[in-house]
Amino acid sequence: MTPGSRSWSRLLAVLRGNAREAIDSLRKARLRTVLGLIGIMIGISSVITMVSLGEIAKAKARKEFEALGTDILVIRKSFEGAEAEAAINVPDALALAPQTPSITIAAPRISGYGSFQYAGKEVGRGSLQGVSASFLRVNKLSLQEGRFISDLDVDRYYCAIGAGVADSMRAAGGRQLIGQHLEIDGTLFTIVGVLNEAVDNYALPVQVSANESVFVPISTAGRVVANAEIDVIIARSAAGVHYRAATADVNAYFQSRSPDLKLEVVTAQELIARMEAQMRIMTLLLGAVGSISLIVGGVGVMNIMLVSVAERRREIAIRRALGARRRDIQSQFLIESVILTVAGGVLGIILGLLATWGICRFTGWDYLISGASLLSGLGTATAVGLFFGFQPARQAARLDPVTGLQGD
Amino acid sequence: MLRLVDIRKSYRVGPTTREVLQGIDLEVGAGDLISIMGASGSGKTTLMNLIGLLDRPTSGACFLNERDVSGLADDELSTLRNAHVGFVFQSFHLLPRLTALENVCLPLVYQGLRRMEMQQRAHAMLTRVGMADWGQQRPGQLSGGQKQRVAIARSLVTEPTLLLADEPTGALDADTAAEVMALLLELNEQQGVTILIITHDPLVARRCKRRLRIHRGTLLETEHRAASVHSGQPTRSGPEATAAPADAQP
Repeated sequence: MTPGSRSWSRLLAVLRGNAREAIDSLRKARLRTVLGLIGIMIGISSVITMVSLGEIAKAKARKEFEALGTDILVIRKSFEGAEAEAAINVPDALALAPQTPSITIAAPRISGYGSFQYAGKEVGRGSLQGVSASFLRVNKLSLQEGRFISDLDVDRYYCAIGAGVADSMRAAGGRQLIGQHLEIDGTLFTIVGVLNEAVDNYALPVQVSANESVFVPISTAGRVVANAEIDVIIARSAAGVHYRAATADVNAYFQSRSPDLKLEVVTAQELIARMEAQMRIMTLLLGAVGSISLIVGGVGVMNIMLVSVAERRREIAIRRALGARRRDIQSQFLIESVILTVAGGVLGIILGLLATWGICRFTGWDYLISGASLLSGLGTATAVGLFFGFQPARQAARLDPVTGLQGD
Repeated sequence: MLRLVDIRKSYRVGPTTREVLQGIDLEVGAGDLISIMGASGSGKTTLMNLIGLLDRPTSGACFLNERDVSGLADDELSTLRNAHVGFVFQSFHLLPRLTALENVCLPLVYQGLRRMEMQQRAHAMLTRVGMADWGQQRPGQLSGGQKQRVAIARSLVTEPTLLLADEPTGALDADTAAEVMALLLELNEQQGVTILIITHDPLVARRCKRRLRIHRGTLLETEHRAASVHSGQPTRSGPEATAAPADAQP
C-alpha cells in the first residue's frame, strides 16, 4: 500500500463520512435548513426564470427572422438631410442584382393605397404595390392559383391579389377569380393570380402585408400612383456574404448611378446582431436581478453556517482531539453548505422552470428548457455553497481544540 | 515510550507572560498507570494537552516512541493523535447526534477505514467495556457511567499507545466512579494499556502504580512502585504525600 493510495482512500472515507454527517446535521437543524433552502431556492429560481425567459425571447425573435431568411436587405432612400429631388429610379433598381455579384435578387416596390371594388362592391382597402417578378421570390410568397406579375407585363393592367382580398371577393360572390376584373380607384385590373396566405415579419423595417394587397407591374404603378417613387427595394445577399460587404456594394452601385442619392440599408443580419446584443444585455440584466436574490440567499447560508460552527465548537474540538485534520473539519462544513445550496438549487430549478412555463403559457411564447441554464443553475448553486461556506468552514478548521474542549 | 524533556509553556496575559509549565521532565514507559494530581491552575490540563499533542510547548522536547514531536506540523500532530493517543474526558465529550457505536467509530473515520471494518472494531470495543447492547443508543439515553464506558471504548478503538484521562470520574457518583476506575485498571492490567490519569481525587490517584503531583508548573514524583505491567496487585494504601523532594525531578 503506497502512502498515496492510502491517503486517497482516507480522503474518500473522510469525505463520505463528512457527507453523511453533513446530511445528518442538516436534518437535525430542520428549521434552519429550511430557511437556508428557501433563500437559495428563490435565488436560483429567479436566475433560471430570468435567463430562460431571455433565451425564449431570443429564440422567438430569431425564429421570426429565420422564417424570412437572414440574408435579406431592405434598401430605402434616406431622408436624412434629404435632397427631395434624388430618387431611386426603376431601371437602376431592376439592374441592381444583375450588376452586383453580392446581391442575388432585388425587388423594388412602388406603393400606393386604394379601395378595391368588385362587382360594384368594395371588397377591401389596402395597398396597391407595384412590383417586379422577383418580388414573389424575395418575400417567399406563393400562389394559390394563376401566376404572379411577370417582367413582361410592362404597363399592362394585370394584378395578383392577396389571400385576404380574394376571400372578400369570394364572399361578394366571386367564382373563378382568375380573369375577373378588379377596380382600384377607378382603374380596372385583370386578375392573373391569387396568393397564398402569408405571415408578416414584424422584425423587419418593412411590412409587405401581402394578404390585404394587390400587386401590379411596377411600370403600371408608376402611372396610376400619385407621386410614384420606389419606397423600398427588398433584396437578398449571396450565401456567405457579410452584411457589411453587401451594404457597401449596394451603396457603391447607387453612388455610381445617381451620386445625389442617399440610401439607408438595413440588413437582417445586422438586425439580428443588434437584437442579439440587446438580448444579451437584457439577459445579463435579468440574470443580475436574479443574482441579487441569489447573493441574499448565499449570505443567508453563510449566516446559517456561522451559527452552525459556533454551536459546534465543542464537536469540532472533539473531532480534532480524535485525529481530524484541519482540512477534514473544513471539508465537513464545506460539504454541509454545498449540500444545502445544491438542494436549494435543485428546488430552485424546478420552481424556476415552473415559473417560466407559467409565464410562457400566459404570454403564448414557445416554452423551451435550455440545458445551459440548468447546468449553470446547478453550477451556480455549488459555487454559492463553496463561496459562502468557505469562511465559516475555515473558521471551524482554525478553532483551537484546547479552548474548544474547555468550554463546557 | 513518551519522554518529556524540560517542557515549558507560557501564555501571554496582557503585557506579561505567565509560565504555566516551568521545566517538566517525565518519562512514561509502556504499561504504566500514572496519576497526576494538582490543584486547579497548577497546569495539569496544560500538561495533558501537551502530552495529548493538542498543544505545543514553548520550549523543550517531547519524544513519542523516540521521535521528537514538539515541532511537527498540525496535520502530523493530528495523525499522531489519532494513532497514539486516546482521550477520556471528565464530561465524556460524546457527540450527542451520533449513536454510541458511531461515536466509537469516530477516530476510525479519520483513518479511512471501510464502514464494515469500523463497525466491527467499534462493536468489539463496546463489548470489551460492557456496552455491547447499547450501541444504537444515543448519549442522551445513557447514564453517566455508561457514557464514560463508551468514551473509553472510543479512546481505545484505535489501539493507542497512551490513554489520557482527564478527571475520568469527576462527573460520576462514587459507585459509578469506582466501576469506571475498575475498568481502567483492568484494561491496564490485562491489556497493558498505558494510562495517564489527571485527577484531583486522592482515591483515584491511590490506585495508580505511579503517582505524580504538579505544583506551580513543576512535576514531583510522589510515589513510584516498581510494579511489572501485569502485576495486578491490589494497591497498598500509601499516604498521600504532599511532596517528596527526594524523588523530585533531577
